Amino acid sequence: MIKYILKRLVMLIPVILVTSFLIFWAMSLTGGDPALQIAGDKATPEQVEQIREELGLNDPFLVRYAKYMAGMVTGDMGQSYVTKRDVFKTFMERLPNTLMLGGAAVLIAVLVSLPLGIYTAIHQNTWKDTAGMIFALFGTSMPNFWLGLMLIIIFSLTLGWLPSGGKTGFASLILPAVTVGFGLAALITRTTRSSMLDVLRQDYMTTARAKGCSEKRVIYTHGLKNALIPIITAIGLQMSLVITGSVLAETVFSWPGIGRLVYDSISKRDTPMVTGSIILCSVLMCIINLVVDLIYAFFDPRIKAQYSKKG
Amino acid sequence: MKKTIALLLCLVMLVGVLAGCGGSGGGSGSSADKKVLRIGTEADIDNLNLQTQQNAINNVVLKNTHQTLVFFNNGSRGDDVRFDPCLATDWTFEDDTHILMHLRDDVHFNDEAKTPMTAEDVKFTLDMAMDNLVATALAGYVGCEIVDDYTIRIEIETYNNEFVQSLASVPLSIQSKKAYDDGVEDPYYIGTGPYKFDEWVEGEYCRLVKVEDYWGNDLPADDNLAPGASDVIEFRPYIEASSRVIALQTGEIDVCVNPPINELQYLEEDENVTVYEQPGTRLFYFAFNVTKEPWDNQTLRQAVACAIDRDAVLQAAVYGKGTPQTTILNRGLWGFYDDMEGFDYDVDRAKSLMAEAGYPNGGISTTLSYSNGAPYEQIATVIQANLKAIGIDVTLSPMEEATHKSNCVDGGQELFLWRWNEDSKVDFVYRDLFYTGSGSNYHHYSDAHADELIDKVATEKDQDVRLAAAKELQEYLVDACPQVPLYIANLVIAYNKNLQGTYLYGGGNHDWRHAYVAD
Amino acid sequence: MATETKATTKVKSRTLFQETWRRLIKNRGAIVGMVFLILLIAVAVLSPVLFDYETDIIGQNMAEALQPPNAAHWFGTDEYGRDLFARVLYGARYSLIIGVGAVMLGLIVGTILGSAAGFKGGITDSIIMRGIDIFYSIPNIMTAVVIVSLLGTSTVNLMIALAFSCASSFARIVRASVMTIRDQEYVESSYAMGLPTWKIIVKHILPNCLSPIIVQITLLIGTTIISASSLSFLGIGVPAPAPEWGALLSAGRGHIRDASYMCVIPGLAIMFTVLALNLLGDGLRDALDPKLKK
Repeated sequence: MIKYILKRLVMLIPVILVTSFLIFWAMSLTGGDPALQIAGDKATPEQVEQIREELGLNDPFLVRYAKYMAGMVTGDMGQSYVTKRDVFKTFMERLPNTLMLGGAAVLIAVLVSLPLGIYTAIHQNTWKDTAGMIFALFGTSMPNFWLGLMLIIIFSLTLGWLPSGGKTGFASLILPAVTVGFGLAALITRTTRSSMLDVLRQDYMTTARAKGCSEKRVIYTHGLKNALIPIITAIGLQMSLVITGSVLAETVFSWPGIGRLVYDSISKRDTPMVTGSIILCSVLMCIINLVVDLIYAFFDPRIKAQYSKKG
Repeated sequence: MKKTIALLLCLVMLVGVLAGCGGSGGGSGSSADKKVLRIGTEADIDNLNLQTQQNAINNVVLKNTHQTLVFFNNGSRGDDVRFDPCLATDWTFEDDTHILMHLRDDVHFNDEAKTPMTAEDVKFTLDMAMDNLVATALAGYVGCEIVDDYTIRIEIETYNNEFVQSLASVPLSIQSKKAYDDGVEDPYYIGTGPYKFDEWVEGEYCRLVKVEDYWGNDLPADDNLAPGASDVIEFRPYIEASSRVIALQTGEIDVCVNPPINELQYLEEDENVTVYEQPGTRLFYFAFNVTKEPWDNQTLRQAVACAIDRDAVLQAAVYGKGTPQTTILNRGLWGFYDDMEGFDYDVDRAKSLMAEAGYPNGGISTTLSYSNGAPYEQIATVIQANLKAIGIDVTLSPMEEATHKSNCVDGGQELFLWRWNEDSKVDFVYRDLFYTGSGSNYHHYSDAHADELIDKVATEKDQDVRLAAAKELQEYLVDACPQVPLYIANLVIAYNKNLQGTYLYGGGNHDWRHAYVAD
Repeated sequence: MATETKATTKVKSRTLFQETWRRLIKNRGAIVGMVFLILLIAVAVLSPVLFDYETDIIGQNMAEALQPPNAAHWFGTDEYGRDLFARVLYGARYSLIIGVGAVMLGLIVGTILGSAAGFKGGITDSIIMRGIDIFYSIPNIMTAVVIVSLLGTSTVNLMIALAFSCASSFARIVRASVMTIRDQEYVESSYAMGLPTWKIIVKHILPNCLSPIIVQITLLIGTTIISASSLSFLGIGVPAPAPEWGALLSAGRGHIRDASYMCVIPGLAIMFTVLALNLLGDGLRDALDPKLKK
């Protein structure tokens, strides 16, 4: 088992190498000179040149990349061009905000979609099923930022219940979390439904019923437990989407998370910040995927056995 | 049905638990009897190292914690007296290139030892500036000689009318030499101002607290160096403009910088909010890359200038909250002159100029590039329709600001939109935008006569001759038409109706040191 | 031999098609989605006939600016006095063309990558698939931002940027399908007969993974329309004054309080379109699912 975890962690190295190269390369191709961004409106061409020299922007691309990676090996992810602050530190400051938003969003999504998925599965092919599924589909069918704007119109502007942006305590988390969460709900609902449908057809369900278990018990203990694996996969997949994909929600709600950090850094052409953040995101996602895999093992002894065999 | 109820109950419970967790962590606690001023900003504070940053928002924060040699006031005392003593008490030109400056002898830094501020610190700050971004503001500086602890002699390359004014720029605030020598972490945080940094969480807030033993505690309240009024000042970014407005209305913040004009009606209806408006200094302009065909043709440029309906632009961009402008200089600057004939909106004149330029039937296709978002999007849309009327087919090309800027510097653009905000030095307009080879001369305009006039305005000592040169320069540039000035946006700001002691600038670099929310 | 195979596949595919159709029309959601989409396509095709682009779509009329929905302007007017109803209907063209275009481009690239990975196997397979994995871990908005800044803002460039993220999911589907059938006899015999690889792909591989691809196409068009609108919202999508839905939304964002219809209506247009695509996609998935065949 530990060997397996180690092996997965070693797999991170090529991911880091390739990702960093791609991002670095793309940033160097993207129009917009970082030195001009830093220099501001009133800089002379000589000053811009000086900044370029200081940041090493005049070196050939491969030299710059090699220097960056040399730093990386010693654990130094570099300094932001703009804020001059340590990339790793800045990322870590923002990470809790994103995890908080992501966690709350997933929680909301699960709270909505598990019951909905089970409900629609039980009432398969009735109008209740259709209505439930259409409700869930709405979540994926609207642009997430638009939902955010609509929620602001309703809950901040019209009703005045919740703050419209910024991070000012729990209340300010609700709207962004609902915005992101509703988008996730559809996939989890769909997975729950089909997974439940599969399980409901199994023989052991009939056996359980025959044993005289109450319907509730049949569904929640025998059914749901066995249906969980695909559901967890879906949640795991979505989790990674949440971390990197909430750029728009973070923008709309001025939420100080990673998505906004990366987007702002791209627009300021802050190469070390962008590269560093995206590498850290990829690493984080690999870790989340690993954790998801381990959770499977916990829920499914068969998979656990496989790992030990491999290990 | 029971199941549903059970599930709903679970949901409610979980939300309750979450609310509990969040509630205890969210409140910042015992600031009940303290005067807190919360300012909603439109951009993230990104760097608080004075000399390596260049963003207006950072400077607004740093104004509270640091002080400059010369104070640039907001013009409330009249346009002629914009520069007051601050850390420097007086200054005189000994000859063309030497300025003798006396410093206050009662100032100390806000470090634990209350280190006095002396000529050493001033020399250190200015010398350091030459190696940093801020060097442009200090152009022409040669060196600084310490005469005694509170007297310095600054040497400059050549006489310049605006050198002393430069010393009012926030990035040139005096920093502590000792802090740098002692290797203090982030030495630039230490200043002499009435506030000091408490906490800065990037993207969330930047909190300043009042300095208890501020050196100027005994100064009268009307002095610009007087102690701070609020106990705490908090800057919070609300990037989304509508959110910022709502936050002001719900009382999350006391000041909403740059509220969107189309939402002003809600703020005006709100009895807890004051909406303040005054003429501003931010100039928005439309311009040509004069090295690109066919825009090297001056008559053609003038035709375009006549075809642009500036009132419509002003309406679309800021709902008329601004002043249409003819000259290229920012309003409020020394020697501002807007009475030239210029090129008012006149389609017939535009068409005849088109014919004169050799394009009687139009037939020009071109591209207008600009940074995406408001107000450029709106300006571009109006101009595109305007130019169609004289047979110029414009493709709009919105870009990210970084790309747009690089593109303009490299001269890849044809037509473009840009802005210029300057409220203290005229040289920062003339030289930066129009001098041959200057960094912000995106027009790539180069003209020997204009260069000569720009130098004259900078160095001519006879103020009457200088004023005449400034007037001639503006007329010359408007006629040469490398750019079409569009409008100057008003300063619009909304705040809690109990806010007192505001000190606002038309360009947006407000001074919050003496502002507070009255009970 | 060759003709025989053709004949049998033809017969088989027709029955498959009929079978699928029969099951699809039983699904009410799918029917609703399909009808909506057909109407939308009709609108998109007819809108240049119904409206004059120069006057109705981008012609400004400041006197009528910012009118809320009324009898003359069903969806109201925008800040330049342009009729939103006309703009939203016309905008369907952009959203559909971008959605379909990006997905088709993604399909072509994805098929090439997927079949290369599947057929060659070994190191080629590892490189392509790891590459796709890594690509997948970079948020697609970021990729799109970079590509658009590289190429400049235009409808075509936007399509290219969005095609990237579609390509990876098609590549996975095609590869999986190639892996299952590449060792089967009829494929091997085609090889032996000297059929070029691309013909094998078109004749054998694609028909084999047709159903997941069709489902994926429908769903991805929806996702792509949303992504396109997100990019427009960030200001790097279709340039003004084209009435792409995301651009309309982005323009409405500044008027969220004083003219919220400017924000609500284009959003609803996107939502219903994507919903229709999702309903159809789900319907197709069920209809094509061999597990449900009886």
